Amino acid sequence: MGEVNTMAVKPDRPRSIQGTRRRHRPAEIIVTVVLSILALFVIFPFVIPFLFAAKTQLEFAYHPWAWPKSFQVKNFIDAWKAVRIDKGLINTLIVCIGSIVCTIPPAALSGYVFARYRSRFTEILFYLILIGYFIPVQMVLVPLYKMEVATHINDTLYGLFLPMAAFGIPFWTLIYRSFFKSLPNELAEAARIDGAGHWSVLFRIMFPLAQPATVLAVLLVFIGAWNDYLLSLVLLTDQNNFTMQLRVASFLNAYGTDRMPRYAAAAIISAAPTVILYIIGHRGIIKGTLAGAIKE
Amino acid sequence: MKKCNVFVLLFLMFGLIAAPSLFAANVTLTIWGRDIPDDSADHLYVRDLIAGFQAKNPDIKINYVALGDPGLMDKTKITMASGSGLPDIFQTWGGSVMGGYADAGHLLDLTAELKSVPGSLAAQQAMTWKGKIYGVAPFFAVAGIFVNEGIFKANNLKVPTTIEEFDKVCDTLLAKGIQPFACGEKDKWPALALYMYLVNRYGGDASAQAAARKIPYNSEPFVKAAQLYQSWIKKGYFGATPLGEAYGDAQQLMATGKAAMHVTGSWMCAQYSNPDFTDQTLGFYAFPAFKSGGVGTVYDIMGMTDIGFAATKAAAGKKDAVVKFMKYAMSVEACQSDPGRICSVPGVKAKSTLTAQASAVFASAKTVTFWWDQDLPPSVTSPLNDTIQSFFLPETDVKKALTAFETLCVENIGPVKK
Amino acid sequence: MVVAAGGSASRKKGHKRERGTTLFVFLCVLPALVFLAIFLYYPIVETFRISQVKTTGLSEEVFVGLDNYRKLFADEEFLAGLRHVFSWAFWSIVIQLPLSFFIAFGLTYYSNRMSNTLRAIFYLANILPSAITAMLGKMVFAPNYGILVTIGKVLGWKWLASADFLGNPKFAFWSVFVIATWAYAGFYIIYFMARMEQIPRDLREAAELDGASALRYAWSIVLPDLSYAIRICAVLCTVGSLKLFDLPYLMTTGGPGYATVTLGITLYRHGFINWNYGKAAAIGVVIFVLSLVFTIIQFTIGKGKDA
Repeated sequence: MGEVNTMAVKPDRPRSIQGTRRRHRPAEIIVTVVLSILALFVIFPFVIPFLFAAKTQLEFAYHPWAWPKSFQVKNFIDAWKAVRIDKGLINTLIVCIGSIVCTIPPAALSGYVFARYRSRFTEILFYLILIGYFIPVQMVLVPLYKMEVATHINDTLYGLFLPMAAFGIPFWTLIYRSFFKSLPNELAEAARIDGAGHWSVLFRIMFPLAQPATVLAVLLVFIGAWNDYLLSLVLLTDQNNFTMQLRVASFLNAYGTDRMPRYAAAAIISAAPTVILYIIGHRGIIKGTLAGAIKE
Repeated sequence: MKKCNVFVLLFLMFGLIAAPSLFAANVTLTIWGRDIPDDSADHLYVRDLIAGFQAKNPDIKINYVALGDPGLMDKTKITMASGSGLPDIFQTWGGSVMGGYADAGHLLDLTAELKSVPGSLAAQQAMTWKGKIYGVAPFFAVAGIFVNEGIFKANNLKVPTTIEEFDKVCDTLLAKGIQPFACGEKDKWPALALYMYLVNRYGGDASAQAAARKIPYNSEPFVKAAQLYQSWIKKGYFGATPLGEAYGDAQQLMATGKAAMHVTGSWMCAQYSNPDFTDQTLGFYAFPAFKSGGVGTVYDIMGMTDIGFAATKAAAGKKDAVVKFMKYAMSVEACQSDPGRICSVPGVKAKSTLTAQASAVFASAKTVTFWWDQDLPPSVTSPLNDTIQSFFLPETDVKKALTAFETLCVENIGPVKK
Repeated sequence: MVVAAGGSASRKKGHKRERGTTLFVFLCVLPALVFLAIFLYYPIVETFRISQVKTTGLSEEVFVGLDNYRKLFADEEFLAGLRHVFSWAFWSIVIQLPLSFFIAFGLTYYSNRMSNTLRAIFYLANILPSAITAMLGKMVFAPNYGILVTIGKVLGWKWLASADFLGNPKFAFWSVFVIATWAYAGFYIIYFMARMEQIPRDLREAAELDGASALRYAWSIVLPDLSYAIRICAVLCTVGSLKLFDLPYLMTTGGPGYATVTLGITLYRHGFINWNYGKAAAIGVVIFVLSLVFTIIQFTIGKGKDA
């Protein structure tokens, strides 16, 4: 219910339907082969750009699918200059860090209170925050934009990650709430008997215990901010403030397909940071995503 | 004495080094532009303009902000609406959009200062509103037909001099397996150029009248032009997949000789004469008129400012610096680095045959109609392009589509005044 | 529901409320509330107000009551967007979920050395920024040089070689949908896999002793066990189709005509391209109402689990 999409972070249950010691059966081989072919379909679109990016413009124009005669490094240089993904990358990182810093502490604080200090008053507040979980960003786009223009924070990076955080807080409040609910109470009680106040219980005992939830929150808020498109499209106009996503998208619009080899090189360059991050951290990313989605 | 000399020398050296930085940055000009000043071919002018001006005027600091394509227009519009945070100079296409800002009292009147700057008349008119000059337009673009000369020669075809001749030419090309027109209508705006010409050739200044709300958008010239357009589409003159092709894809068709004609803006001259981009020989021609029954002539040209700058009231205190910048923007020195645009400044040589041909078309113009989507309020420009895109769907009833657009215009601009 | 008895000892009867508790609670909740008040509650209230005025941003606001809504429901673009919410959700549920279920089942049932790698590959497309997904999508579906068209040319299939996947209104929706499936299915796959791994092992052993085939096992044990997970994914599909913006906007900008328009795209176009704030806000309200309805459905499904 309240936490349909949430789950307390608990240790993995033993893997069950996996059979590990069986011999490979024909059915298994067939299924694995079929799945591998499907996986090739997933990977295939990542490979095409390399074929295009290696060619000269005219070579591509006449023989898009032939094997490239030589490897044109120039396409990559031109694409790099046009997209300047490094500039976008810095902005994206600022937005990611900003939204992590602004999302997680408020969410953890309020989640803790909603788990441990329950009263009619906090329940009302909880529902008030819960509302935010059900509001799609699209709904408030227009007034949000008008407000940012009126206060002159549009077209700034904090003008982007502050509302981003506001949209993330309700969800993470839910997660923290169910996490703190799942923690045993003894430690906190003992500390309290020793005379520890609310704040010291919170900061010395509860927050360190909440580390697994915080790791997940950092990861997922990061991915969310990394991938945001709509909000940045509306709120940012100066190219110096563009995030990586916006730079790629505006390249897509402005340069488009008239120079496909350069365009393909840009696709490779743009995908690289995400793919590299994923290759390094895919275990954590998958686990984190699931934690956000599964109710125990 | 020697010591003294050394001191003098040191003092002089110090003075030479320090002087520019001491006097520098007396004035800062904030300029909003569209393109990033980098090495890409169509950005060369902006790049050299900023760098060149900066080098010549170390006492004026340029703060150039690149805002991108919808970004520049959007941000200008918003700041003009709020009236605060205006830049000193902004890139604009002039026309009625700039006129709106002038009416709101946000622009700096530079009539006296810029009146005598040499340049083409149409470009000056573009930056003039109600008799006052607000800026300069060093580059202008006109719409016309890019033609693949090789294909036409090989098939014994002549570039049509009347609209009636198009059918025959196109049918011949189709029979040879060559797509008559490249368009790229996936991007929605590319089809406008041809439609503007057809409406003009049927009804003269119909578009100006419709914008001034003297005739509706579903009146005869608009409907007739749309019907002719759609009949050409149905005959396959725009290929099998015009709606799936982006503007860039259309350029590819021209670059490889798969399409024979492309009705679009002269901004393509640089690309179409670049040997890295195409191995075909292309030419640029004015769009013909009807042999009989039409109003518009071959000398009615669709055009727009390609690059222009106007100044705002925020720069009232630094008029001198602004005028210096405007004049430099119109100098031969600044303009000659651009590889393909039509330059309004006399003395700038065209870099390619295509640009020369386009400049000739521009010079032949008796009337210049501004690009519709630059000259209408934003509330109806994107619906206009949607409407034209819908002509490409065979089931669209063009009259109904134009009537729907007219309804929208009544709502947003006002009803037709009798 | 949410108040369901948790282990909160601090509410024990007779527990002496320390002084400052209220202050502590207040201070803890304050940051979250401040954020939400500024960036959510105020804009929500504003949305309802703006949806009743006519304004372009440059012009004055004129109160028009429900006029924007009336116009909206006569606006073909909006209606197309509304229809697509439902058709997109329907096809997502009917196509993406079963596909993901079978891939997940295959990977879990025949778990071997490849499984983890394959799972990582299937999920890869999900985390890619949509601008890049759209770029790749165009390379697949573009006319003249796209993969599919080229395959058609090589095989000599004329219908495929001249197909207009993004420009033909009949195909455009499906082209975007295929790319969306490519991008989104990964999430459902890893989600289903995680649930399947939690099915007790004895169930499978018992089924195998009874001589049940893999399909039979999938049908009568795994599917019922995952019914809750599947319902949740169905809700996610629905909510996702309501919020859909990035992929269709980047691939087709909603065209040709209104073939791939979504509510998000109409809102963006009315609000930020046509500068018709009132109409855009009215669409925002419609999205809000639909999201409310979907949320209620989500809650009902959540209850079903507990019952």
